[in-house]
Amino acid sequence: MPAIGESNPVAEDPHAAPSVVTAFCVLTVESFRRHGQVRQMVWVSAGLLALVVASVLVVSLRTGWGLPDRRLQRGVSHRQHADRLDMVRALPLPIGGPGVMLAAVGPFQGIVRPQDDPEDPRRVTFPFSNFLNDWAFMNYSRWVVLGAFLGFVLPLFTLSYASAAFGAERESRSLVWVMTRPIPRPAIYLAKFFGALPWCLVFTVGGFVALCFAGGELGRRALELYWPATIGGTIAFAALFHLIGALFKRPVVVGLVYVFFFEALVAALPGSLKQLSITFYARSLMYNAASSAGYPAGMLDVPQAASPAVAWAFLGSVTFGLTALGMWLFARSEYRDDV
Amino acid sequence: MNNPELGTPITDIDSRVSHAQAEPLPFPFPESGAGRASEFPSNAVPTSEPLLLFEQVSKWYGNVLALNHVTLELRGGITGLVGANGAGKSTLLRMANGQIIPTLGRVMVRGIDARDWQARRYVGYCPDIDAFYEDFSGRRFVRLMARLCGYSRTEATRRTEEVLERVGMRDRADRKLRGYSKGMRQRVKIAQALLHDPELLILDEPLSGIDPIGRQELLELFQGLARQGKCLLISSHELEALEKLTNHVVIMARGRVAAVGTLSQIRDLLEDHPLSVRITAEKARALARQLLGLPEVLAVEVDESTEPSSLVVKAHNPKRFFESFANLVVEEQIEVKKLEPLDESAHAILGYLLGGSGKT
Repeated sequence: MPAIGESNPVAEDPHAAPSVVTAFCVLTVESFRRHGQVRQMVWVSAGLLALVVASVLVVSLRTGWGLPDRRLQRGVSHRQHADRLDMVRALPLPIGGPGVMLAAVGPFQGIVRPQDDPEDPRRVTFPFSNFLNDWAFMNYSRWVVLGAFLGFVLPLFTLSYASAAFGAERESRSLVWVMTRPIPRPAIYLAKFFGALPWCLVFTVGGFVALCFAGGELGRRALELYWPATIGGTIAFAALFHLIGALFKRPVVVGLVYVFFFEALVAALPGSLKQLSITFYARSLMYNAASSAGYPAGMLDVPQAASPAVAWAFLGSVTFGLTALGMWLFARSEYRDDV
Repeated sequence: MNNPELGTPITDIDSRVSHAQAEPLPFPFPESGAGRASEFPSNAVPTSEPLLLFEQVSKWYGNVLALNHVTLELRGGITGLVGANGAGKSTLLRMANGQIIPTLGRVMVRGIDARDWQARRYVGYCPDIDAFYEDFSGRRFVRLMARLCGYSRTEATRRTEEVLERVGMRDRADRKLRGYSKGMRQRVKIAQALLHDPELLILDEPLSGIDPIGRQELLELFQGLARQGKCLLISSHELEALEKLTNHVVIMARGRVAAVGTLSQIRDLLEDHPLSVRITAEKARALARQLLGLPEVLAVEVDESTEPSSLVVKAHNPKRFFESFANLVVEEQIEVKKLEPLDESAHAILGYLLGGSGKT
């Protein structure tokens, strides 16, 4: 056991003055490294993703995402509905009669082409073979990308990693080591955010890629169209959940309540309240991407979709605004290592 | 003790401590801020700014008053901070390193607000909590702390080895922290506090869980640091351990600085400081007569409005008073229902000086 207490104080080297920039960079890298340790919440998210990927894979392999075999109403697929329409042969008006088109073809406008009944020119039929397009891509986009991925997988993965930036250290009570270093508090907040963000992006984009692979050719197309919205939404959610992680002792609970009661519920409500949700703008970006690519974006069910400029401006403002707010609040908050 | 303000309640004392000055410390301390001779004169950067200054600091947690008008000034040497659980020691220490914001008053480190990150360049903090990055080795942890101080890789490595050497951990620092004993963890905590060579070291219960040999080594380390001009503020439940380290203590009770000075000064003060105690017992009037026969008792007031009756006894030399009172109770077989000191601060001080936890 060496003698202690009698050695010289740590000698000062004038060329080795401490730098707050160095401390910031080290903290960022260390935060990133510590985030690599898988946590319980990440396992839950990964499990959810695996479930979604498996479901998508099964549907892709068995029936595909084409509209004819998708459910239109309870117990009735589009194909079955079209067959029923095929029975309306007794309609008295010829093709082109607006009444007939609206009444009979309404649900399939742009999807199915009526044809003349060779036996009776006054009648029309809707044979399944005459579906103009099965719109599998839009179907896939609506249920897999906007529904499962944007509604659950993306927020949960982002929540898992972004809220843990402070939450995990607070739980293990090791945050005191960072808080007592000579680093400005706003810089600590920012470094933690930068440390968590790559993981949020890797996991959400990785999850998206996995879903797209499971979707085959449709997935590849979705990846091409929707990756910018995925990244924009992830960064905005990460900023929000990082703030929640810094402010609340139970950030995961607060985050889950936010995701399921605000993003999922409010964003689905009619009216303008949904314009306060992050998901709405990510959905709008996807809507615009699909629309620009010539798809009938109306099938995505994004009413009052924001324009790309407005959507990007909102997501950017949320990211920068929440990060700046978090830095400000964190600088003024107290940290107690005993609670 | 020759003190013009003996009548002042101990709890109202403003504490001004300066180990670097040569004047003996009067108790209570005058407003001029005179200090006592230091056994470890400071060789820190000369400045008029005190190393640590609490100015009329109060802290509320909801309805709980954790610190109450604390004024404290440190300029060097070793100061022991003692008090019972909940007395406000840890709140005071956390405030000194900027973790907690005062509700009222201000805390300054070398003239910089303690919340300012630059103030932390002057402060090394060894927390009471026992939480680490458990998957790290001791060496890696200390090195990371050095890097988070802003040092380059080379400098961080150099400083890490130096501080590990100082706390006697250099040859044992490659094991994972989760496998360390309490004493080893305590040493690592102290090592990280020394990394940036701070002028002020704030050590919260640094001796807890350390075996006697390790304790002696750490006491020597602290004395060595003080000799090198560092200012150490060390909190402990154990007055006995602190007595080996420093004769200068700050005693806290119920969020207030109850007393500051050398232990002998505080003991002297208590000799003369009248203590008020409420005693609830059967036959209060008869007990009052017997108490008046004790030389330490100055006055007894009987309150017969309550059932059973109670007495308020004013006595000096509390230690002797309690001994005499205990003998009286046993000899006369008096049934005492309740004994309640009315001056909590004096009570706490007494508790420590008698070797208890402050809850006599």
